[in-house]
Amino acid sequence: MTPLVITGLGAVTQGAVGREAFERATREREVGAFRAPTLFDESRWPGARVIEATDFDPAPVLGDKGLRNIDRLTKFFLVASRNALEDAGLKRDAKWLSGDGSFGRRAGVCASTAYGSLESMVELHRVALLESPRYLNPARFPNTVINAALGYVSIWEDLRAVNATVCNGNCGALDSILVAESFLGTDRADVIVVGGAEAMHEALFLAFERLEAMAPDGQPHAPGDDERSRGMRLGEGSVMLTVEREAFARERGAPCNVRITGFGTSFEPPSSEVMVINLSAEAIERATTLALADAKLAPSDIDAVVSSANGYSAYDRAEKTALAAVFGGPKPRALTKRAYGETLGAGGAFALGTAYVALDRGIVPAARDSAPWPSDARRLLVLTTGFYGNATAVVVERA
Amino acid sequence: MGSRVYVTGAGVVSSLGYGREAFQRALIEGRSGVSKVSGFDTSAIGRDFAAEVKDFRARDWLTAAEARRTGRCSAFCIAGARMALEDAKLPQGSINGERTAVVLGTTMGEVALIEKLDRAWVASGPDGVKDVEVSRYGTTLLPIHVARAVGARGMVLTLPAACAAGNYAIGFGADLIRRGRADVVITGASEIIGQVQFSGFVRLGAVAPDRCQPFDLERQGLIVGEGSAIFVLESEEHAMRRGAIPLAEVGGWGIACDAFHITRPHPDGEGTLHALRKAISDSGFTAADVDFINAHGTATKANDAVEARCLNEVFEGRRVPVSSIKSMIGHCMGAASALEAASCIETVRDGWYPPTIHYSQRDPECDVEVVANEARRGAHDVVLNNSLAFGGYDAAVIFAKPGKIPSEAPCLR
Repeated sequence: MTPLVITGLGAVTQGAVGREAFERATREREVGAFRAPTLFDESRWPGARVIEATDFDPAPVLGDKGLRNIDRLTKFFLVASRNALEDAGLKRDAKWLSGDGSFGRRAGVCASTAYGSLESMVELHRVALLESPRYLNPARFPNTVINAALGYVSIWEDLRAVNATVCNGNCGALDSILVAESFLGTDRADVIVVGGAEAMHEALFLAFERLEAMAPDGQPHAPGDDERSRGMRLGEGSVMLTVEREAFARERGAPCNVRITGFGTSFEPPSSEVMVINLSAEAIERATTLALADAKLAPSDIDAVVSSANGYSAYDRAEKTALAAVFGGPKPRALTKRAYGETLGAGGAFALGTAYVALDRGIVPAARDSAPWPSDARRLLVLTTGFYGNATAVVVERA
Repeated sequence: MGSRVYVTGAGVVSSLGYGREAFQRALIEGRSGVSKVSGFDTSAIGRDFAAEVKDFRARDWLTAAEARRTGRCSAFCIAGARMALEDAKLPQGSINGERTAVVLGTTMGEVALIEKLDRAWVASGPDGVKDVEVSRYGTTLLPIHVARAVGARGMVLTLPAACAAGNYAIGFGADLIRRGRADVVITGASEIIGQVQFSGFVRLGAVAPDRCQPFDLERQGLIVGEGSAIFVLESEEHAMRRGAIPLAEVGGWGIACDAFHITRPHPDGEGTLHALRKAISDSGFTAADVDFINAHGTATKANDAVEARCLNEVFEGRRVPVSSIKSMIGHCMGAASALEAASCIETVRDGWYPPTIHYSQRDPECDVEVVANEARRGAHDVVLNNSLAFGGYDAAVIFAKPGKIPSEAPCLR
C-alpha cells in the first residue's frame, strides 16, 4: 500500500472523550469498569457485565442544537470525528483552518460499524409492531439505514469528497484503511477520517448472549488468556483517526510521526457446511503475512502486537495459534479489549488508536499481557479477528 | 499502469426474472414488475404496491445447507453469484481464492430477519429469540456467504451505501483490481423489502400509489423494489489468460457526498455534478463520448429535478438519451444501481436502451431526452450509470465496450 500518515485522533469511550483522555486511558487503564448495564433493564440479565460510555455527553463538543433526532451511534461518530479533525490541526471550533473554507471538497470519512443503529431499528419496529406503521417517525426513519450515521458526520463536519460505511464485522475498522487508501490513491480526497463506532443496545447484548459468547459476572473474563477466560464482554464507543498521504501532510505542516505501511485481509470458510461461526487461525495468519509483505517487513521486524483477543477462549486461541505460526514465539501484546470491551465494528479502531498513541507518544499500553513492552517500540502489528473466518491486519510504524 | 477491468459474468435476481439476458429482455419489452405487495400486511401503511421477487425459491440456487444458514438477502446474493460465475464460465474451484475478493452493497441487508427476531422477542421474551436466526443476521454476512459459495479467500467487504451501494461496490471492486489487490472481484448488491423500511418510505411521503413515473410531470414518487445483481470483474490479464469473453469494461467512477441533508439531494447538485464529471474524466472521456445514461430517476419530485439539471449541466445541453428502469423494477434501494449496471452492460453489448415506462407528460424541470415508453437502439460504446442515495451519497460509473477506455485514461494509470 501507499503509506498513510496518521495525523489526528478522536475517541469516545467509558469516561474518556478526546485524544488526551484516550492517551490517559491507554497509559492507565489496565481493565475497564465492566458493570451491570444501565442502557437497558439489568434485571432481565442477571450477571450481565458491559462497558458503557455512561457519562458521555455530546453537547460540550457538538453544542445543544440539532441532536434531537440523532441516535447514540451517530453521536459517537460525530464527537470522535470532530475530535480527530481538530487534533489533526484541520479544524478549530468546528471550522476548517485549511484552504478558503472549501476544504470539505477534499475531505471525507470512511468508517466501520458492524451492526448500525440497532437502537433505531428496534425503536421503529416496535412502533410498527405495537402501535401502527402509520405512526413511524419520518425524522427517525433515516437512522435505520446503516450509512446514515456517517451521512450525518458529513453534514456536521462538511466532509464532501467521499463518504463510505464499511462492514466486515470486527475487521471493518481496519478495512476502512484500505478503502481510504484506495480513495486517496485515486485522487478522490486529501484527508479521510477512518475508524469505527458501535453503540450498546439490548438487542446486541441479546444476540451475543444467545450465541453463548459472553462471560457473566463471576466467570473469568481475561482477553488474551485463552486458558482461563470464559467469554467476551461488550463495550461501546468510537475511535476515529485522520489519515493522509505523507506529501500532503508535510505540505500543510502536520507531524508525520506514525505511518500505516502494510495491510492484509483474508477469509477462511468453516470446515463444516453447517457452521457459520469460524474463528480461523489460518485467516489471521494469512492476513498477517500479507500485511508484513505489504510493509516489506519480516516477522522479526515487529516489536509488539495490538491484539484482537476478547476473552472468548476459542477466539483468543485462534489468534495465539496464528501468531505462533508467524512469529515462531511470543510477542508482547496490547490487549485493548480488557480496557474497552468487545466493540465489534469499532474494535479495530480502538486497536489502531492504541498503536498510534503508543508510537506517537511512546505510551506503554496498560492493558497488555505479561511480556515486557519494548521500550523503543517502532513497528506494531494491529490485528482484528472476525467471527466468520474473516481477519484483517495492518502494520503501523514510527518514523 | 493499472489493469483494465472487465465484466465477464453477471447474475440477476429481479421482479422481472433471473439472469442478465432475461432481465434485459423484459426491460426492453417495457414490462413492469410492480404489483400488490404479498410479503407482508400493508393495510395500515397506506400504500400497497411494490416490485417484489415473488417466485424466488432459495433451493433453486442454493444448497440445502446454504439455504438453512442464510436469510433472503444473502440468498439473493448467492443466487446472483452462481449465475455470474456460470455466465463467466468460471467453474467452482477454478479461481485462486486468495486473489479473489467479494465486495457487496446493500442498504439494510437482512432487514426481514431483524423484524422476525424482534417479533419473537416481543412475543416470547429473550427465550423466543433463536440462536440459529441470530447467526443469520448481520450485514457483514452477505459477502461471507458468497465467498463460501464461490471459493473466495481474499477481502470480504460490505459497503452499505444505501441506494448508491451497487455503484460503490462495483467502483471500489474495480479499483481493487487496478491497484493490484485482487485478480477477480465478485461484486454487486442485494436488497429485500422489509415492512418497516417500506413503511418508512411511505411515512417520508416518497412512495407513489401504484406506479413509478420517472421524469414525468405527474410523477408521485418511488415504488419500492428488491432484487440483486452480482458481477464477476476480472483483470485483463486474468480474463485473457483463460480466454474469457468480456461483456463490458468498467471505466472510471466518481463519488461525492452532498453533506447537505440526510434524505434530500443538494438543490444545486454539487456532489452529483462532481461524481458524474469524475466518472467521465477518469475514464479518459469527455461528456461528448457518452452515448446513453441509465439514470437514478426515482420519480420523486426532488430527485428527478436535481438529477435532470445536473445531467444538462454536465452534458452542456446535449440531448443524451436517458432512461430510468425504476419505472419497471421499482427502486431496489441498495441493489438499484447494481441492477441498473446489469442493464448498462447489456446496453453496451447490444445497443438497446431500455425505456422509461409510464412517461406521458414532459416536466420542464426534467428537461432530458427520456427514452419514453418504448426501447430504442443507438450508439453503445459508452454508458453511464448514475446513482444518488440517503446520506447525501452520489456515485456514477462508466461502462464501455471492451477496449474502449483509452489507455491513457486516469483510471488506468
